[in-house]
Amino acid sequence: MPPSSEGSDLADRELYSIPSSASWFRWDDIDDTERRCLPEFFDGSSTSRNPRVYKEYRDFIISKYREDPTKCITFTEIRKSMIGDVGYLHKVFLFLEKWGLINFGVKVPKISVEDAGPKVVVEEGPPADVQVVPACIPQRKLVGMASSVGGENGFKLPPLTSYSDVFGDWLPKRGLVCGICGDQSAAGGYESLQDGVMVCSKCSKNNSQADGRTTEDSNHQVDDDAKAEGSANNVISAWTDAETLLLLEAVLKHGDDWALIAQHVRTKSKLDCIARLIQLPFGEHILGSINGTCANSNLITQATDVKKQSLINEPPQELIKTDLHIQTDEKDLVEEPMAERPLKRRCLPSFVHVADSLIKQVAGFSTVAGAQIATAAADAAIVALCSENISARKHFSINKYGENDLLYTNNDHNSGLKIEDQDMELHKQTVVSEKSLSATAFQVRAAIATALGAVAARAKLLADQEEREIELLMASIIEVQLRKIQCKIKHFEELESMMEHEYTLLQKVKESTLEEWVTVLQQAFQAGIPRWSDDELPKPFTTM
Amino acid sequence: MRSFHPGASKAPMKFRMPTAENFVPIRLDLDIDGQRFKDAFTWNPNDPDSEVNNFAKRTVKDLKLPPTFVTQIAQSIQTQLAEFHSYEGQEMHIKEKIVPLKIDLRVNNTVIRDQFLWDISNLESDPEEFARTFCKDLDIGDPEVGPAIAVSIREQLYEIATQSISSARETRVGKKGRRGADIVANSFVFCSKAGNTVDLGKLFGSKGSVIRKRKEWYLYEPIVDILSNEEVGALDAREELNARLKRKLDEKEESFQTRYSHG
Repeated sequence: MPPSSEGSDLADRELYSIPSSASWFRWDDIDDTERRCLPEFFDGSSTSRNPRVYKEYRDFIISKYREDPTKCITFTEIRKSMIGDVGYLHKVFLFLEKWGLINFGVKVPKISVEDAGPKVVVEEGPPADVQVVPACIPQRKLVGMASSVGGENGFKLPPLTSYSDVFGDWLPKRGLVCGICGDQSAAGGYESLQDGVMVCSKCSKNNSQADGRTTEDSNHQVDDDAKAEGSANNVISAWTDAETLLLLEAVLKHGDDWALIAQHVRTKSKLDCIARLIQLPFGEHILGSINGTCANSNLITQATDVKKQSLINEPPQELIKTDLHIQTDEKDLVEEPMAERPLKRRCLPSFVHVADSLIKQVAGFSTVAGAQIATAAADAAIVALCSENISARKHFSINKYGENDLLYTNNDHNSGLKIEDQDMELHKQTVVSEKSLSATAFQVRAAIATALGAVAARAKLLADQEEREIELLMASIIEVQLRKIQCKIKHFEELESMMEHEYTLLQKVKESTLEEWVTVLQQAFQAGIPRWSDDELPKPFTTM
Repeated sequence: MRSFHPGASKAPMKFRMPTAENFVPIRLDLDIDGQRFKDAFTWNPNDPDSEVNNFAKRTVKDLKLPPTFVTQIAQSIQTQLAEFHSYEGQEMHIKEKIVPLKIDLRVNNTVIRDQFLWDISNLESDPEEFARTFCKDLDIGDPEVGPAIAVSIREQLYEIATQSISSARETRVGKKGRRGADIVANSFVFCSKAGNTVDLGKLFGSKGSVIRKRKEWYLYEPIVDILSNEEVGALDAREELNARLKRKLDEKEESFQTRYSHG
């Protein structure tokens, strides 16, 4: 808490003892004693020494001392905080000390340095305003204190989560760490989110605003567990890469079922897994998408054509995250993923729907990249995947047929698709679960490849365009410069011609003047005037 | 507030050190036959010349240096004293100047770094007292540190004083231009840490504050560092190497100048 400025309540005053001989001292005035002992501040002998300056020095020194009256304040500690000649500052300091206004009755300790231990001060220490101020300093009354001597506590920046926080190993025995901001010592206590992660009170407020999806797609199973283990101990061993990998696999496989996930990652408890997933960059994303599709599944119960219509008409923005902004003119692409979803939904209900959300991402990317590019990318991806793995081909052949249908025609293939769906259904139901799983995997990979391809194509186009633009700009700059130079040259040429012109004129004038001179001389001779001396001949004519 | 300067342009006075005692900083750095002798101390210019020789002899005896050092030491001291005396007749114009002085030195195992403001128009200033307070407050054990600080302060003040001599200003550029160039001789300004000139009038006038901003405190805080013996050894070796290189460069430069300078 910053000390109160002048004129506030008397209740904050603390008692300090000064010798009776110094009873003349007043905060808001300068006594004659001071004027007498330190005349250099009061005789107007310099701009750097005047009563106001003296008062500031004095008040500051005394206040600084009174922050800890049990400790002897040294001149060296205090001179860094004041601007002025150290000699005069020392004089003020000695004056105050002599009159007992500072260091009164304090025994000089052997080591009295505020900054460091015995003798060594580390050079690259933190700056003073980041030092932790001991909380025991009570609020002091500083009447007459200049407001420039402000609060005691330095400005403390909030901690930032960094790469090392996320991917670094958890240090054991670290105390409760907020899952979102990494703050370890949140004053407002911790609350547990629905996902079972401990967050400090600040972040929980922010979280409920920003993460609308997690609140609306809450998974209540986890709540009880989390709360029961709310104040669990945090003696965790570090998360190795292998464990993280297992965790991710488990999440993809089991979704929200933390018990199964914890089982999969054998070495970590449920709570640890949750917390770790939150820490990972896209951990919440995966969770959210899992939760999102759980909600979606409630909506997707009707027949496909009805579903498709509804999907086309209202892009499912409420269901998915806002960053997937599907535009209506790309609805043929929307159909592709959406259609796949019902296929998957019905046929592979037990499998995780992370793939769905990825498909949504593909849709997003595709809208950004453009329809043609996305289709080309999808085709290329599937071809590549098929060439890679033969079993995929069989799976995809049907899909591909379906896709092509979807792409080229808009809404007219409901029936066709229905048939396809039923075919798919039959096909799927006869397939062994592993194959389905691999199909899912293939689809996932295809989707990812599509997305990557689309984005890559787009990026290349952008890069090419940028390059062309740069070239164009360079060319225009060069052109402008050349034009400038041309103008200058022309200008100089003009000047030159003008000069030459004038020169010829000048020559002519010279000649004519000379002729006149000669004529005058002749006439003078004829008239009989004696010749005058040569040094009166004007200079220009002699140097011709 | 530039119009009103109380005591601004003081009447020019005879050259002297702007300290209470008019003592001269002397620095010795001799390298004879591979043996190096470095020292820095304060000398009273009013001492008789015989004192110089006595001092040289005593030093050589105490430190067991080869006797060739006696003459060298004496000569060096006398040269520096002569230089000081040569300034004495001239006038210097001390305006009100608050300059930042810097301490950056190593004495045996102790490294000191500090900066602070010094009013060079304050003719009662006392570097020795400053050094004493410094060592007392920071509880520095090595008794050689205090004098080293005082000498360093004096040297900087000496530099400033010589720069403010009007007649000597033209000849400043050649030799001494290299060092001490950061002392700006402008009236009513002084350089803060970033080299920005700060208007004295603004600071000490009615609107400014002479209490430094808290975030700048650390810049004006002394740093005292105790080195281990290995570090000291390493630093000594490096300094010696640098000194040798510098000497070679100086010699080269001088020969260059004499060769190509016009008569």
